[in-house]
Amino acid sequence: MPDPRHFTTRRGFIAGLGFGAVSLYGAWAAYGAAPLPFGHTPSATPEPEAHGHGGSNGDSHGGHAAAAAPTADDFRLEHETFLRTYAQTDGSVDPHAASHGGARSHGHAHGASQGAPHGGHADEGHDDDGSATEPVTVFLMAQKFAYSPDLLRLKAGQAYRFRMMADDITHGASIQLGAASRIIRLRPNIISEQTITFTKPGEYLVYCTVYCGQAHDAMQGRIIIV
Amino acid sequence: MDTIPHDAPIMAGSGLTARIRTLPRPDKALLNLLFGAALLALVLGLADGLLTALARAGALTFFPDDAYRLLTVHGVSVFFYWLYLIQAALLLALAAAENSRGLALRPAAWAGAALMLAGFAVSEWISYTGTPLLYDGSPELAVDDPRSVGFFALGYLLLSAGLTASAVSGIATLLQPRRRGEAEEFGAVGFALFAWAGFLIVSAIAATNAFLPGLLWSLGAGPFPADHGTEWHILFHNLHYLPLMATVLVWYVLTRHLTGVTSIHGARLSKIVFAAYLVFVPPTSLYHMFLEPNLSEGVRVVGSLLSLFVSVPTLAAFAIIVSSLEASARAHGATGVFGWIRGLPWGNPAMANMGWAVVNMMVGLTFAFVLIQGELAPMLSDTFFVPGYFHLFAVGVLTQTFLAALMVLLPALNGGHLWRPALLARMPALVTAGLLLFAAAGIAAGTMGVPRRVFDVGYGGMAPAAWPVLMALVGIGASLFAAALSVSVYGVVRTLLSGRKLSAMELPAVDWKAGQNRIGAAPAWTGPASIAALVAAMYVFTIAAFQLIQSLPVAVIGGGHGH
Amino acid sequence: MKNDEVRLMLAIVAVWAALAAVYALVPSLGMPGYVRVWGGGAVVFLLLAAVLTLSGRRGDGGEAPRS
Ligand code: HEM
Ligand SMILES: [Cu+2]
Repeated sequence: MPDPRHFTTRRGFIAGLGFGAVSLYGAWAAYGAAPLPFGHTPSATPEPEAHGHGGSNGDSHGGHAAAAAPTADDFRLEHETFLRTYAQTDGSVDPHAASHGGARSHGHAHGASQGAPHGGHADEGHDDDGSATEPVTVFLMAQKFAYSPDLLRLKAGQAYRFRMMADDITHGASIQLGAASRIIRLRPNIISEQTITFTKPGEYLVYCTVYCGQAHDAMQGRIIIV
Repeated sequence: MDTIPHDAPIMAGSGLTARIRTLPRPDKALLNLLFGAALLALVLGLADGLLTALARAGALTFFPDDAYRLLTVHGVSVFFYWLYLIQAALLLALAAAENSRGLALRPAAWAGAALMLAGFAVSEWISYTGTPLLYDGSPELAVDDPRSVGFFALGYLLLSAGLTASAVSGIATLLQPRRRGEAEEFGAVGFALFAWAGFLIVSAIAATNAFLPGLLWSLGAGPFPADHGTEWHILFHNLHYLPLMATVLVWYVLTRHLTGVTSIHGARLSKIVFAAYLVFVPPTSLYHMFLEPNLSEGVRVVGSLLSLFVSVPTLAAFAIIVSSLEASARAHGATGVFGWIRGLPWGNPAMANMGWAVVNMMVGLTFAFVLIQGELAPMLSDTFFVPGYFHLFAVGVLTQTFLAALMVLLPALNGGHLWRPALLARMPALVTAGLLLFAAAGIAAGTMGVPRRVFDVGYGGMAPAAWPVLMALVGIGASLFAAALSVSVYGVVRTLLSGRKLSAMELPAVDWKAGQNRIGAAPAWTGPASIAALVAAMYVFTIAAFQLIQSLPVAVIGGGHGH
Repeated sequence: MKNDEVRLMLAIVAVWAALAAVYALVPSLGMPGYVRVWGGGAVVFLLLAAVLTLSGRRGDGGEAPRS
């Protein structure tokens, strides 16, 4: 027997309406954001990290990062070395500058990691088209209420592997890029990694976006891109 | 005229108010106590919310610790005590009304109230005097001040224990008619109350999971709760659904009270929808964690997809209510596509609050869906986008809906009358206007990167010039909605305190109840049209956000996972 | 009807228990809190389903607290 109701007042139609917003999937798919969204995936995830931190531990990345990944203390050491190697007289840090220790970076991360526990990135980026695509490793540590380094000098068009960690408690290390920002959240003792290429020269604000105490608003740094 | 032909307005006062009126005295006393405490929390929270907004707008300056203390008191008062005291009170009131003989397990209900009030006192005190921990009480902010962490956790634990006791009383009350053999099954509202009460208990488990470690640590009886962030997210996610479920439930109750209309789709569908709230809670919980550095990629992918389902129960309930209303109105002769809406009893402040709450929900949902996309999280999470949009829910939807319920229940409870209904009926539109300004400016500010929880966004001159301008607009919007909301709250408080000076004055209502055979023959396009408009808006803002994030002068690959 | 109500409760239990099980069995997801909360929630709703069944049967008003 025919339902005397108009279809807009029938049960099935009403239940279907509940799923209306699921159709936003279409917009996501159009931007390649479904079904495989990519955020930044830091090195502490249990996922295998193809290029994460090669070197000596390369074979143990099968899924259990805990044993193989560099520890927070490794990070602190590498970060120290990075600062010592590339600190400039004006207080900035420039991974492209001749280091005080005499080593050059060759546009690689090697210099930064020299002497650090897990060595260089030997097996990485064999595509041979020079330093422009070879990411340079940069370290950024957040702590109450400052960044270290708090002034980085980098180059446009160059990829940088930002290795970041909060030293004490949770912080942000977000980068203001003009029309919007790149929001980054750092948990204490968990190493986050993102490969970032700045495409436009300029001076960019680095600021804390996770409440961390009294001087939270004062927590800022700068990245100068030339 | 495309509306309902002069249907004789009937007096509201149907079953609900009659049953509230005849509740036993001790139950009335308990409900008055809980309603009063909830309103006190709201008043405290509103004052601190306005101060926070003015400080963020640059109109007021505080020492940093004081500013964060205000923000803490604001979040704690409104998000925890206002929302949960009022939910416990509404659960008990509506359950008692369903049962029509008052509360069962009354001692549990009183113990619950006592525990919640104790929690309220502890939380307010430590929020005003301790290290400012904000409403999530992250222990890492006070490693050197275990006392603050401990008392903060204690407050919430007392609240949870009290909620559990209240929910147990509510459940027993709902079951009483069956136990007496007077009823075979629940109505839609009874079932919803039952499920909601269960959910309150689950949330108390989640709160215990999140806060007990902090309490133990502060007593030297446990390790430092390093995982607070994750545990908080679980609780926080529950706390999104709970009040929303309560809101939809109140809409059911008020729709019936104000128009006589119940679902034309049968109680069964409504029960399924309310159960769907609970089915969808856990699977959709991951989107709060997109920025967490230790969230695995697989979880992120699945989390984003599942969160698309987050609105299913709410939109289904919306569609049920709107189609039932529209079909009933048409059965009573309403014409015109949207004309029937004008036939609703807008002169009743409860109707006005509920109606504008629906508008706020549609706008809020639009932006909620921009935020659940994992790839946009690195542009929007932790920014003012988040408070910018969620006040549409917190204030526009939840607070206005619960105030609407109070506007109906309080006069019934105490025999007084609602304070200046004509004035109160005008407030929701003003609240919404203020919220829309607050949200528009706040969402724009957040999209540009203005962080949440920062009072001075100057950054030594390095911040974009638009930031302070947008935050000033946020302050103007906040002042507007705070003022209008204060009038509503004042009206409700006056009503609560007015006692039984006057016999209840009947407020406008309509009676659109219609026989099942007459109903639904005419099309009812309002529901589908609203949802289509909602989806269109979601597309527009999602696409705009994608365009923006792609236009930024950086290329980012997360940790070697390019694809 | 009444059985519907119990069935809906059990549906909730099933989904929650399944999720808790996933988080319990795949520890690399790293969220043991999910196991406690969703697992505990499954137990709560299981109890509610039981109470619902029992109070329906006991139509004589046996233990109902008087008010
Ligand atoms: C007069 C009304 C209100 C005003 C002016 C107001 C304003 C604000 C402002 C400016 C913030 C600060 C955001 C930030 O800096 O991150 C905030 C935070 C918040 N508001 Fe409100 N609000 C009001 C009412 C409410 C209500 C009724 C609720 C909930 C029912 C609510 C829930 C919250 C929450 C949960 C936060 C986040 C606190 C935090 O981040 O620690 N607000 N509010
Ligand atoms: Cu910080």
